[in-house]
Amino acid sequence: MIDRFASGFDPFVIPFLIGMAFVLVYCIIGAIRLILQLDAEDKKRFFISLITPKTIWKNLKDLFLNCLIHVKLWKRNRMLGFMHSSIAFGWFMLILLGHIECFIYMPHRVKLFYYPIFFNYFVAENETTIGGSVIFFLMDFFLLLVLTGIVLAIIKRVRSRIFGMRRTTKPSLLDRVGLYSLWLIFPLRLIAESFTAHISGGSFLTIPMNMMFKAFLGDQMNMLPTWWAYSICLCIFMCVLPFTRYMHIPAEMLLIPFRNAGLTIKHARRGFAKAQVYSCPNCGVCIDACPMSVKKANIKDTTVYLNRNIRRGNEKRIEEISDKCLLCGKCTAVCQVGVDGPQMRIAQRSIRNYGLEQDYSGIDITPFKEAVAAEASPDRVLYFAGCMTALTPAISRAMESVFRKAGVDYAFMDKDGGLCCGRPILMAGRFGQARQIIRKNKEIIKASGASTLVLSCPICYKVFREHYKLEGIRVVHHTEYMLELVKAGRLSPDAGSDVLVYHDPCELGRGSGIYEQPRELLRHTGELVEAEQNRDMSICCGGSLGSLTLGFDKREDLTRNALRNLKAGNPETIVTACPLCKTTFAMYSDIPVEDIAETVNKHLK
Amino acid sequence: MKDNIVIVGGGIAGMEAARQLLLLGYKPILVEKSDHLGGHVADWHCLFPDMTPAQDVVKGLVEQIKDANIFLETEVSFINRMKMGYNVMFSNGVNVICKAILLATGFDLFEASRKEEYGYGIYDQVMTNRDLERWFNTGDDKRITGKDIKKIGFVHCVGSRDVKAGNQQCSKVCCITAIKQAMEMKERFPDAEVYCFYMDLRLFGKKYEDFYIKAQMESGVHFIRGRVSEVSENMQGQVIIKTEDTLSGKPAKITLDLLVLMAGIVCNKQAVQTASMVQVQTDSDGFLKSKDNILNIIETGSKGVFLAGTATGAKTIPETAAEARAAALAIHNYLVAQS
Amino acid sequence: MMDFGFSISPSSTMNLDKVDLTLYDRLCSIEPDARKCMACGSCSATCTAGPWTGMSVRKVLLDIQRGKDKEAAAMLKGCMLCGKCTMVCPRGINTRHLILSLCRIYGEDAK
Repeated sequence: MIDRFASGFDPFVIPFLIGMAFVLVYCIIGAIRLILQLDAEDKKRFFISLITPKTIWKNLKDLFLNCLIHVKLWKRNRMLGFMHSSIAFGWFMLILLGHIECFIYMPHRVKLFYYPIFFNYFVAENETTIGGSVIFFLMDFFLLLVLTGIVLAIIKRVRSRIFGMRRTTKPSLLDRVGLYSLWLIFPLRLIAESFTAHISGGSFLTIPMNMMFKAFLGDQMNMLPTWWAYSICLCIFMCVLPFTRYMHIPAEMLLIPFRNAGLTIKHARRGFAKAQVYSCPNCGVCIDACPMSVKKANIKDTTVYLNRNIRRGNEKRIEEISDKCLLCGKCTAVCQVGVDGPQMRIAQRSIRNYGLEQDYSGIDITPFKEAVAAEASPDRVLYFAGCMTALTPAISRAMESVFRKAGVDYAFMDKDGGLCCGRPILMAGRFGQARQIIRKNKEIIKASGASTLVLSCPICYKVFREHYKLEGIRVVHHTEYMLELVKAGRLSPDAGSDVLVYHDPCELGRGSGIYEQPRELLRHTGELVEAEQNRDMSICCGGSLGSLTLGFDKREDLTRNALRNLKAGNPETIVTACPLCKTTFAMYSDIPVEDIAETVNKHLK
Repeated sequence: MKDNIVIVGGGIAGMEAARQLLLLGYKPILVEKSDHLGGHVADWHCLFPDMTPAQDVVKGLVEQIKDANIFLETEVSFINRMKMGYNVMFSNGVNVICKAILLATGFDLFEASRKEEYGYGIYDQVMTNRDLERWFNTGDDKRITGKDIKKIGFVHCVGSRDVKAGNQQCSKVCCITAIKQAMEMKERFPDAEVYCFYMDLRLFGKKYEDFYIKAQMESGVHFIRGRVSEVSENMQGQVIIKTEDTLSGKPAKITLDLLVLMAGIVCNKQAVQTASMVQVQTDSDGFLKSKDNILNIIETGSKGVFLAGTATGAKTIPETAAEARAAALAIHNYLVAQS
Repeated sequence: MMDFGFSISPSSTMNLDKVDLTLYDRLCSIEPDARKCMACGSCSATCTAGPWTGMSVRKVLLDIQRGKDKEAAAMLKGCMLCGKCTMVCPRGINTRHLILSLCRIYGEDAK
């Protein structure tokens, strides 16, 4: 390879350089700002993770698999997966190979930023570089791959249904500018490289194109304008990128190390939260996933719109979207970049100003504590039913019966009422108040001297597990606990012939990762069929405490939709493991709804 | 007269309409899904406000409609609209061509177990108004027989005025029924304290207010204004209910030996299906839809289809009977106009 | 008419002519269902916080309808937002949102 121009420069590279400089400066400043916005503890965590081999490896792996290959998307939708990885991975390879090419043949030019990008314009092939045909082939191959992706992207834009997406977002004006410039970059590159293929060399794509151009156009003068166009398109794309959905490309590169460092959302609009907002590609997968989307009026209250409105600073909409959400977490389960919809919303709720703050300092739990302490016993299992279970006495009764039948020494902590677990007020974003309640409950539990705490309510379970830090006390959900009793031979339910379907409660499934224990338990008592969408794709019953504003009458359609989903396998009974799901389903279901404790208890002698 | 008239439902409305139509010279066909006539009233013991035995009312009516064609344990399988009337197919295989149909399909008593927080079917000492009437009739119920009953509670509005139970309407008769049953229980258990937990006392009918005063003066029934929200059970098998005594503004708890739930009147689900065969819809309250709710409550939007009784909403027996008579007359007028 | 400069209206009488309903009206504009309350007391009976803190949704609503904002505020402070009242309300009022909205409106007043 030899230089075609001694200067190694042509003015057409200027637009590219401007775009590149802008986007780099913007993203680097942005990244530094987000890192600075982390609190001291998170900052420390983040920097440590950057030098810990385990997280370095995980970061690299995640960056490769998520940003380039889009593994999660492949699993969900192959067409979309192919489209994204062909563009991302293809483009990445073009850049990488461009640099390799430059490094091999023009090492003295490597320091020129633009050289690898416009390599084919600046070089001429000579006899010594015929061996480079492998690289030329690869360059053409990856360009073809990207072009295939672009064709699919155009088809998807016109007809998203072909890709299995029922609803998607509308791109903004700048999104469109970014989109069209992105679409144009690669065809222009193909044309530009084809024009120069007889000089710089090419492969199966560019050489034939070059011959064709010669036959039809025959004018070498077209060469420079197409390189200009290519450069300008790159410039446009990079200049609008920070203001479009494509910001997700650089943002995700920061989000992944953030997440791997174990950060949580501490502030509604800063640091980790902001990284999530910018990482949202506006793909709209969460729209179809959201249980509220059965009603058209709720479509614009999905996570993608939350992110969009946070970027736009539309406070009124941010509040509406944050307050309406059921916090079921399904958007997070389907999200390609892992935007945590529920946590984002709770964070938005937490920065609200209240003229009146709840205060529980006046609550005297001493008598309660003393009563519990009087009967303290280390072998005792403490059962906390929770507020909601007071309205579903069948659950607590079944649980007590199970304890007795298994010969468990138990104490029913809130039989005559207790304090709330704190999760509902946490969901409302009142963290300080939640801490007060948690502290009081913790004192009572500690006083009991019990070593195991059993909860039949997933709402309680989640907060006890994540926020109580009950050292020395095992916190288990009754689905886990009953399965343990069965496995230990302390319970032996007789197998029935009922056809059951298990509904995964949001807080237990997506919220706490418990999917298999209830299923294994239910297989002991009857035939288990699956809902159409189950496990982490389970549809919220609609009764969730997560939503602050969704009124009773607005929830019926959601519940009916969830019931329809559950009845796909023609079950005789719906079994769930949450008092709230049970009450909600029971209102509209035409088949019996019961808690797993009832099911198990029925099958015990 | 040859014109066939089909009456769906053999409760008070259906029987009274049949009686009137017989008097007018028709021979109506009456179908009843259960094995006896009288509907819900046949399960009752005594009726307010004069403590008339329910059996007397039912028997009297049954006696007077002997000449009608009565099919028991029969349901309507389908109805086809024809040019001059309807072709009705019954589940017993009989096929009838008729000019008029009277839907006297009545109501369903709210399934008290659906209000899980009240513990019906979960706790031993919880029963419904119907269970109590059955005990008045049979004297046999393990919740009462042989038990030392010292405190009895009546919960009004179970499945009525409650969107969560799917019925926003007032069932009209529960307040007076609760007072009636409270007094009857007091008679049987003179030493017991009897409590009624109500949201509003709606005692609108003839002599109902007298009943209320009697319950206060003679029976000493305690009236507590507050809707019961939770029921639990103690070690002795007694039930503990949580309510708010809204008049003193304090949450209240009380331990009872027997809790009676005043299950309300909800739309008969099967009736909705039958009605849809003749294009009669349900109104926004969930009951069958009349032509209008002022002067045409017994007529429907479908020609030759009439309504009577609790199919259109909660009613007392006298109201039901009056409507049935009106429906019989409307059917007669309709048939005369047709010929 | 002669004006003696005082009226025979003992302090124990609530003067409904002079009730300040600003707070209630503001609440109803945010959560119109507040008007649906029939004071059945289900919410207060089931309230988890009630026995500990004296919270009563029914009384809060009644108090602000009678202009007794301070009494209502004292009760609201004790709410644990557990949502049981929302579950039992026979009129389907979103009591939880009603409470949160009220807590915010008190803030607006201060401004």
